[in-house]
Amino acid sequence: MTHYNNPDSLNDAELVKIILTDQENFLYLVNRYKDKLLNYIRRLTNASLEEAEDTLQEVFIKVYLNLNDFNPDLKFSSWIYRITHNQVISRHRKIKARPEGYMVDIEDQAARNLAADIDIVAATDLTILKQKITTILNQIAPKYREILVLKFLEEKNYQEISDILKKPAGTVASQLNKAKQEFKRELVKQKFILNI
Amino acid sequence: MSEEKKTMTPIADIFDQKLLSKIKEERISPKPRWHFLLKNYVIWIIGSLALLIGAGAVSVLTYLMTNNDLGIRHEINKTWGEVLLLTLPYFWLILLGLLVFVIYYNIKHTKRGYRYPLWSVLLASILASIILGEALFLFGVGEKIDGILGRRAPLYEFFINPQLDFWSRPEEGRLVGVPLQFFGDERFILVDRDQKEWEIIPASSTVERFLEKRPFAPEMMLDENEPLPPIRLIGKQISEQEFTAEIIIPLLPGRAFFDRPGHGPNPSNGSRCLENKNNKKNNERPCVLEGEGTMRSHPSPNN
Repeated sequence: MTHYNNPDSLNDAELVKIILTDQENFLYLVNRYKDKLLNYIRRLTNASLEEAEDTLQEVFIKVYLNLNDFNPDLKFSSWIYRITHNQVISRHRKIKARPEGYMVDIEDQAARNLAADIDIVAATDLTILKQKITTILNQIAPKYREILVLKFLEEKNYQEISDILKKPAGTVASQLNKAKQEFKRELVKQKFILNI
Repeated sequence: MSEEKKTMTPIADIFDQKLLSKIKEERISPKPRWHFLLKNYVIWIIGSLALLIGAGAVSVLTYLMTNNDLGIRHEINKTWGEVLLLTLPYFWLILLGLLVFVIYYNIKHTKRGYRYPLWSVLLASILASIILGEALFLFGVGEKIDGILGRRAPLYEFFINPQLDFWSRPEEGRLVGVPLQFFGDERFILVDRDQKEWEIIPASSTVERFLEKRPFAPEMMLDENEPLPPIRLIGKQISEQEFTAEIIIPLLPGRAFFDRPGHGPNPSNGSRCLENKNNKKNNERPCVLEGEGTMRSHPSPNN
């Protein structure tokens, strides 16, 4: 294995090139993405840590197998998220909603952003807010959950979401609106306070 | 530990080790680049082929529709809708629909195809087929395809060009076939698509020249060495083998169908408007064709 003193200085596309010449360097890439992707998998599926790790391993095997298919015109993170998303769908399609206990915690800023976008009262206690968001995300349809997770919890922009879900940006925007409306409806059902 | 760090799920190095050992044990290696290039080429080639065939379908559709029977709907006692319903080339429309879907599917499966909305990809597929198809039509490709299929394709007269079947209804006053023998008094023998011979009696001075309405008729000009072209007749069936023709017009799309063995006149019994046994027997002179497909016989010297 050719070791690089500072692999963090390389961008993803450069790292992919290096891996293709010396595949032992694949671990640099794994370490760059494994935590993010594990959280993403758990946010989409509520899978247990062990199950999520198994999915993640399959994801990295697929990434490794398909490294030559990576198109540098696309952001590498979008490409790897797309593979993860597809893997989650194929592996967890038949698994219904799981107990919330497995749900990964939501970052403070992500919770605030989602609350601001959905018009939840700002004074709401952050811990309660995060619990409610987790509960509602767990209850809405998967197609709405995945787009909200990508937008607010993974903090992806429209183009990135479009590349991950392989949908036109316009479709992403309209689906995101529907997802937010669905989220609001569920908030009202849960008697959570809105700014309206 | 910060709040942000708490949300992450750190994975122990054991994950890396398991992953690496799996890769090594199963001897997994990245698929070669040509594998993905080939997949992309296949998508583009299938899409391009679908576009080309779709354009061919458009060129035939244009050829059929520019030679449809809407202009003579009053003469055949049909409404605009009836003519359209009975002669619309459904085969080509369905084929075009399928090919547009194949083009759409392949565009969507290119590297960036997903970025374009459904309507724009569909519109682009349809427009590309139409533009290329019209260009092919201008070069006569539609007519050539119709000719090739007319000579060879099974069930051509029912599905590919339903105009032929539409015109094979003597009981409704429509007949199509190839003239075989001409008599001095303008009567002639016509062989229909089932090889049945009809004696055609043109109504006196009613053999109208419809060719003025048909700008695509110049190719109907014949010399005496060429086989006679198939024609369509509008008139009335008066017996099992007799048909009075009030209007005679050339058959354009579908005329190659009568080149098939068993669907046109048998060359061995004389398929052209020249001397034949009957003419000699009846002391009649052979007829010739005048103008753009209009049939006239030479008057007998005895008349």
